[in-house]
Amino acid sequence: MISLANVSGLIQVALPNATRPAVVTVGILYFAVIVGISVWAARRTRTANDFFVAGKGIGLVALTIASVSVSVSGFAFIGGPGLIYAVGLGAMYIVLPAAVTNVMGAWVLAKRMRLLGEARSLITIPDAIGARYRSRAAQGLSAVAILVGIVGYMATNALAMGVVINSIFGVGLGWGIWIGMGVTLAYSASGGILAGIYNDVFQGTLMAVASVLVFLFVLNFGGGLGEISRTILAHDPILLGPWGKLTPLAALSFFFVFSMGSLGQPQAVHKYYMLRDPLQLKWYPLLKTLGLVLVLLLYFSVGVGVKAFVLSGRLPPLASPDQATPTLLLKVTPILLAALVFSGVAAATMSAANSFINIGAAIVTHDLPVAFGRRVKNELRWGRVVTILIAIAAAITAQRSGTMVAFLGIFGWGLFASTLVPALAVGLNWQGATRAGAIASITTGLIVTLALETTAYWKVFTFPAGVTASAVAMVSSFIVFFIVSWLTRRRAATEIDPDVRLVMEL
Amino acid sequence: MTEPIPPEQPVTQDTTRRSALVALFLGVVAIAIGYATAFRRGGAPVWAPWLLAVGIPVTIGGIMILGAARGRRGIGPLKIPFAFVVAVLAVGFSAALALPANEIALSKLWLGLPLRAAIVIYGVGLLPVFVLPIAYALTFETQTLNAEDVERVRELGRANRATAEYCGPTAIANHGLIEECEPTANREPNQHK
Repeated sequence: MISLANVSGLIQVALPNATRPAVVTVGILYFAVIVGISVWAARRTRTANDFFVAGKGIGLVALTIASVSVSVSGFAFIGGPGLIYAVGLGAMYIVLPAAVTNVMGAWVLAKRMRLLGEARSLITIPDAIGARYRSRAAQGLSAVAILVGIVGYMATNALAMGVVINSIFGVGLGWGIWIGMGVTLAYSASGGILAGIYNDVFQGTLMAVASVLVFLFVLNFGGGLGEISRTILAHDPILLGPWGKLTPLAALSFFFVFSMGSLGQPQAVHKYYMLRDPLQLKWYPLLKTLGLVLVLLLYFSVGVGVKAFVLSGRLPPLASPDQATPTLLLKVTPILLAALVFSGVAAATMSAANSFINIGAAIVTHDLPVAFGRRVKNELRWGRVVTILIAIAAAITAQRSGTMVAFLGIFGWGLFASTLVPALAVGLNWQGATRAGAIASITTGLIVTLALETTAYWKVFTFPAGVTASAVAMVSSFIVFFIVSWLTRRRAATEIDPDVRLVMEL
Repeated sequence: MTEPIPPEQPVTQDTTRRSALVALFLGVVAIAIGYATAFRRGGAPVWAPWLLAVGIPVTIGGIMILGAARGRRGIGPLKIPFAFVVAVLAVGFSAALALPANEIALSKLWLGLPLRAAIVIYGVGLLPVFVLPIAYALTFETQTLNAEDVERVRELGRANRATAEYCGPTAIANHGLIEECEPTANREPNQHK
């Protein structure tokens, strides 16, 4: 259900043609800023360390905004409000965990990963898993799991970019995909994650500004949240019940998957390595949480606002729930605000794509060779080459088959969550976790997610209401991790290097 | 400064982490049972969501305690904000499940939303924002990280890099080779290659 929502938000939406002079002008300005930042960053990228972790030299504010930017996909602007429009407040359980996930990530992962980066010069998430368990197999397996997830996410984002750019410039979906991926590729390959981070800062700021302005506009247009609620309660009160039209099990399942699952999302977790000074982590959770709250204001306000406007006849009925945001923007809001939000949606997809391209390149050029006991001689050069290959592959996949892309996009979040959360998040904080437990857990997450998503996709199997493959895979992975670690507990103490043990103790 | 536990000491002496692990495991098991019941022929029983309503806060609390525990000192003053947030989540979910579904057009609104929705949106979704990140910042130096910790780790990093210089660039990344290389650490850099 989670994944279908995501896919419908990013793929199946045929965004209306928003080509207006103001929208095109803002769109061109947006791309000009991206190019400017990329040229600046490319001149400062000289080593693999610069390319993959920005030389571990990013300041607190930049890292926070960048992290907010990659945590929010186009789903928060299009699919999410559409989901609220369709099922009511039950869709809020996807974003409510933001109140705890950032600080939870800070306690569980940020400090230990940043310190491991300091002690071991680590640059990737599989690096951390490999160091924790002294295991190339665990590192290689987690790298494969992330790579599989990235394939899906990249194709999804490529198609989403095509949809948004086509909507802004009217160039057609195919050209939209190639223009979007081309621009993202240009800054990913030239400036690596440094370009990505500073473009994320720009994109995250744009998203926050757009979200706050739309929130204020909707409240003003609707006469306040109370008036909006009264309208909905008069027509369809279930929508404003605590679960909306979802079952309690389904809504709570959202909360579980999106809270615990956040600890395994590589695009956000990877950022912990990049902070210049580990002591700056002090304010990171507060700033990131506030940033996310601002960006998610649009998600809530457009969802309930458009529902009320349609019920009261101020807006025509929507052709599909995913038209909630575009309809509001093109029929009600000032055109400049619409232009800002459309650029914000493009920003969200490009930001996520850049992050995944960079992580994928690091896996191919760094983690997989390390898993086989080798090192690529020039990681920077090969990082750039692989970046180009991943982007081209994603664009071709996105263009070839929407159905297959939908399928690939389905399991990204769940796959990351089920394969990485127990081994990484629990493993970095529990010295009793063992190499065997980590390997079994990652394997379980990978197999259960792929098997369940595949059988569900081909309709061989239907999940009962309220249950998702992501949730089942994550609890299975957790339980296997605990049981296997307990069964092999005698080896636990010998599987941790002294420096890693110190980091785990601090 | 917290002293690290020597490897020979059993990890189970750390009661805070042990309790957190038990809570995390039990929370996950409760959630798993909740899901499993949904596969029954008649669908999930009415008590299944209660398992998630309790299991999710326990799981979140467990993993936060596990992450925040420092050496044997436990979580110190963080026990109050952690207990508060676990209670807010559990009470919020439980209230949403237990309170009657009587939303109508004339329902009293709380900050613009009917009662059950307000509990979820403002309680579960916003209250923790004002507690956890601030607790994290206020206890950062004592509970999470201070300059002395960072310097200790940086010292280790310098030693590791020196080892890599002796043993070749793959020494650190190829886990386990550090020990194999240590006997050669007195050689001149790159002498062995």
